[in-house]
Amino acid sequence: MPGILCCFKWVVDEAYIRAGTGKELDLDWVDYKISDYDRNAIEEAVRLQEKHGGNVSAITVGKPDDTKGLKDALSRGPEKAYFINDSSFDNLEPSQTAAILAEVIGGSSIDYDLIICGEGSSDLYARQVGPRLAAKLGIPCAAFVQKIEMEQDKIIVERKIEDGVEVLELPLPALVTVLPDINSPRIPGLKDTLSASKKPVIDIGLDELSGSFDPCLRTISISKANMERNGVKLSSEPQDISSLVDALIKQGVIGGVK
Amino acid sequence: MDFKLTEEQELIRENMREFTRKYVDPVAVEIDENSRYPEEVIKKLAEGDWMGMPYPQEYGGAGVEYLTYAIVVEELSRSCAATGFTLSCHTSLASGPIYNYGSEDQKKKYLVPLAKGQKIGAFGVTEPGAGTDVGAATTTAVLDGDTYVLNGTKTFTSNGPVADTFVIFAFTDKSLGPKGLSAFIISKDNPGLKVGQHFYKMGIRASQTSEMILKDCRVPKEDLLGKEGQGMQIAMATFDHGRIGIAAQAVGIAQAAMDESISYAKQRIQFGKPISKNQAIQWMIADMATDISAARFLTYHAAYLKDQGKPFSKEAAMAKVFAAEMANKHASKAVQIHGGNGYCKGFKVERLMRDAKITEIYEGTSEAQRMVIAGNVLR
Ligand SMILES: Cc1cc2nc3c(=O)[nH]c(=O)nc-3n(C[C@H](O)[C@H](O)[C@H](O)COP(=O)(O)OP(=O)(O)OC[C@H]3O[C@@H](n4cnc5c(N)ncnc54)[C@H](O)[C@@H]3O)c2cc1C
Repeated sequence: MPGILCCFKWVVDEAYIRAGTGKELDLDWVDYKISDYDRNAIEEAVRLQEKHGGNVSAITVGKPDDTKGLKDALSRGPEKAYFINDSSFDNLEPSQTAAILAEVIGGSSIDYDLIICGEGSSDLYARQVGPRLAAKLGIPCAAFVQKIEMEQDKIIVERKIEDGVEVLELPLPALVTVLPDINSPRIPGLKDTLSASKKPVIDIGLDELSGSFDPCLRTISISKANMERNGVKLSSEPQDISSLVDALIKQGVIGGVK
Repeated sequence: MDFKLTEEQELIRENMREFTRKYVDPVAVEIDENSRYPEEVIKKLAEGDWMGMPYPQEYGGAGVEYLTYAIVVEELSRSCAATGFTLSCHTSLASGPIYNYGSEDQKKKYLVPLAKGQKIGAFGVTEPGAGTDVGAATTTAVLDGDTYVLNGTKTFTSNGPVADTFVIFAFTDKSLGPKGLSAFIISKDNPGLKVGQHFYKMGIRASQTSEMILKDCRVPKEDLLGKEGQGMQIAMATFDHGRIGIAAQAVGIAQAAMDESISYAKQRIQFGKPISKNQAIQWMIADMATDISAARFLTYHAAYLKDQGKPFSKEAAMAKVFAAEMANKHASKAVQIHGGNGYCKGFKVERLMRDAKITEIYEGTSEAQRMVIAGNVLR
């Protein structure tokens, strides 16, 4: 009966980011969400549990007020959550997040056979936490996985790589990072959300960790990308196509034909 | 005073939004076009426990506050007002009176499958000659031994053609006036109950509406809902609850009208710039945003009062009339912002304008709401 841990990050929902009046972005009204690929990680953990039994726990590193994220994660199926939190855990660098997770997972009594992470977070998308965590725990890792088959003491995974698909066998315990193609996450029903609040959350504070994790990333500014539009309308008529080509050459977007 | 939704309520709204994107948006145009009952969507709603939201879990529901229910109806109606109403008619009009007035046995037998969404409910009070004037109904129920025998015709019964369980009103004693009206629970397999004419409507076309014909319809005594003569009270109390759902439906329609207007106004170029750069358009959208907020607060406040166990009849009527009228005004403005495109099929605002109108008519017309409000404030 496997023990599966799924890692998730609570990130700004980009749908709520708005352009400010100047160059800056307006983040005053943003809402948060479970990082997109982490939803796939949670879903995959729950599907494996539905097939093979065992238990699923969610684990996250964040700020103490990220409680909505815990309810969201737990409404998707895991039976408990580990909440490693401190108000300083704001702008953590991926290596720090991995170190914190490794200390909690490796140093405590958490029993696991498989750790599932998303391929990257939908805010930084550095794609480092999974592989770094595996390295720190000294367990095998497969990143960019699109399929997982679970057997007695091993998993067989398909990795999507540039030239094709790589099939790997990993002895357990192991870590995988998953691609969005691996599944389509369920939409929690009403009762799933209601029961999430009743599931246990293990609260782990900074004082229970040995390392210090002073922020080493500082955001100097975030500005909006401007997309200028020329407001020129062209049809698929031949004369319009040649005027499009002319206009693109004139603007230096494409090279001219001598 | 606390204007904040709980984390659970926020998540529930987000989950319903995701649900509508996945299951409702893709069919909304087609079910409107064909007046089709979206059975597959209703099944999905049942799977997610959305069909019996406010009723306790022991009766098959989810046991959430009415406020949460209103939020969900709003979000569902933002995608498709017809699906929103199919759910709210089932939940508040049909299941509501069974929960509020039913015996323990009736709740077990009828409410549980309704709240689980295994069965669909409908509510029939209106008759061809009795709309706003409920007391003018002519359907009768005559006791014959252990069964009542019902005769008459109900009209505009929402969910009528697809429902399994009906709450139907008939006079057990016409001489008593309003005090002679009673409510009955009737199953669709009762041979005395037939679906009559179907109505093809201007809006909420995917919501199924029909006449229901009662011909020597024998209803066992144990299916009398509440007491004999309690019908008017049951009908009026049911409308009080239901109006919160209709107000929420109207808020959802108006929100969708504003969503569409903003995205269209930003991308439609006239005179070399997006039309959203014109103050005339900006003011229309500013008024939409303001009225939607006002209507939403009225709606949530009525739901909040109900959840607190306080009187809410006046507030539900205020929310309904204000939300319905503002939804009509702004759905029409949204068409205006879309210009000729908005008048044609293919743009959502065309459907929204047709769908908005019904919110001023059913579960009491706007005039009827004002009667309720005036009756309360002039006391
Ligand atoms: C799509 C649809 C779905 C419906 N679903 C249901 C359902 O599921 N179950 C059900 O029982 N009914 C249902 N109805 C009926 C609905 O509730 C009635 O249509 C509504 O109550 C109005 O009644 P009426 O149509 O007979 O209009 P009337 O009562 O004839 O009203 C006509 C006009 O006169 C006004 N008026 C009437 N009396 C007064 C007065 N005293 N003072 C001032 N103005 C007045 C009204 O406000 C309205 O403007 C539905 C109707 C529709 C169209």
